[in-house]
Amino acid sequence: MSPLELVDGRFDKLATELRASRPAAPDGLRNRVEELGRVEPEPRREWGFRLPPRRVAFALVAMAILGSFIAAGVTGVNGSEPHRDAAGGPVAGKTQAPESAQGLAKKPAGVPYQRRLDKDSLAPQTARLQRYDATLRLRVKDVDALSNATKRAMNLTRALGGYVASVEYSTRSGRRGGATLVLRVPIVNVQTALAELTSLGTILRQQTAILDVTRRAERESRQLDKLEAELAQIEAELAAGSVPTERRLQLERQAVADRLALKTLKAKRARLVRSARLARIVLTLTTPAEQGAASPGRFNNTLDDAGAVLTRELEILLYALVVLGPLLAIGGVAIAVGKAQRRRSDRRLLERT
Amino acid sequence: MKAKASAEGFAEAAKRHLDDVHAFLVYLTGDRAVAEDLTAETFARALERWHRYDPRRAGARTWLCQLARSTALDHFRAEDRRRRREGRYAVAELRESAEPVFGEGLSPALERGLAQLSAAEREVVALRIVLELDGEGAARVLGISTTACSTRLSRALAKLEKEVSAGVAA
Repeated sequence: MSPLELVDGRFDKLATELRASRPAAPDGLRNRVEELGRVEPEPRREWGFRLPPRRVAFALVAMAILGSFIAAGVTGVNGSEPHRDAAGGPVAGKTQAPESAQGLAKKPAGVPYQRRLDKDSLAPQTARLQRYDATLRLRVKDVDALSNATKRAMNLTRALGGYVASVEYSTRSGRRGGATLVLRVPIVNVQTALAELTSLGTILRQQTAILDVTRRAERESRQLDKLEAELAQIEAELAAGSVPTERRLQLERQAVADRLALKTLKAKRARLVRSARLARIVLTLTTPAEQGAASPGRFNNTLDDAGAVLTRELEILLYALVVLGPLLAIGGVAIAVGKAQRRRSDRRLLERT
Repeated sequence: MKAKASAEGFAEAAKRHLDDVHAFLVYLTGDRAVAEDLTAETFARALERWHRYDPRRAGARTWLCQLARSTALDHFRAEDRRRRREGRYAVAELRESAEPVFGEGLSPALERGLAQLSAAEREVVALRIVLELDGEGAARVLGISTTACSTRLSRALAKLEKEVSAGVAA
């Protein structure tokens, strides 16, 4: 098919004449070019892109993705040893909360968790006012053990002079289940309570926090004393009877305000003392089915670590895109605009030539 | 051995496509003398850049025509600057020559008609009609889309036919 036929058949005669009369290169030019042909050109670059650039780009992207997966896999396999605590015992994974430094970390090797909580571990000082919060996550054998452990925890709390603030108990399919208890135990008995509670199952997680509020309580006591003294002075002055009316009104208003402040401060202090008297223990009991998810095996650890590496790589890629993206886009647009301008300029030049 | 093969490749390509490149440049410049010089310069550049030529991306003829166009554009730019400087149009004067430019045996009307076309119109006529490049190859040489190339060719031929008809009637 003639190229002209692609456009319009009307121009066939014109095309035939143009083709028949096409200019041929003169001999002088032919000789000049033949001479050039005798010169040996620079060898072709074998290292250059023999593949189309698009394919090369795809191959590079594929290699980068493959490389990132391999890196993630290698890191995952290397880091997939079951996570162990200082004593070498398996624990619940990397999300384990900071444990009692004196208790768990100093646990002698080979000692079961149930027995590791000695009396010295983060014991509250009864001479001071302290808020004591503990979180315990225990694994029990099955649903029956779950029920027994829940009952024992509640009985123990009451026996130690505390109370059960809340209980959530649930089972699924009669084989898996869990319970969450919020226990308030007198601070003097918290070590006994923790020691007993940890014997209900295998520890998966333990967290303890102590906040000393003695100074705060002392500050509030001083404020209370000051207010009471001020109020007593006002009442004495009012009782004297020789106070001018204006002064009396002022004193009465002051007395009302002081009484209100005194009441609020007393309530606040009472709450503080109460919170420092009763430790708060959140006890979570789970059966092995649920615990399985919390204590991953080597394969799961591999996946977790590989996933973490991939996530990190994605973060880096995203960061690079965010930082470099606009620059690349601006550069690309500048190149495209430059090319378009050059093309337009060439076109104009050819049109007026 | 590869260098030898490369040298043969260039010599062969130069021999095979010399007339095509020359014809393209004659149409593009509308001046035989300039076209000769530019043809020689094109092949000199081709020799320098032969190692960059990738036969899988384009045929040798297309690549040489691209190079020829680039060489011609450099020439036109230089001429344009010179014209601006000197304030005269040398090419326009050359076109008044009675010597046939676009080919021996062309009717005077067609010769005049081609001279009336712009270089942009003549180059597409040269590529598609005289050199019989396909739409894709011609578009590649011109750096435009195939559709734009077809449109440009259609307009150029229509204009050429109009010019020829007007010339014959006169």
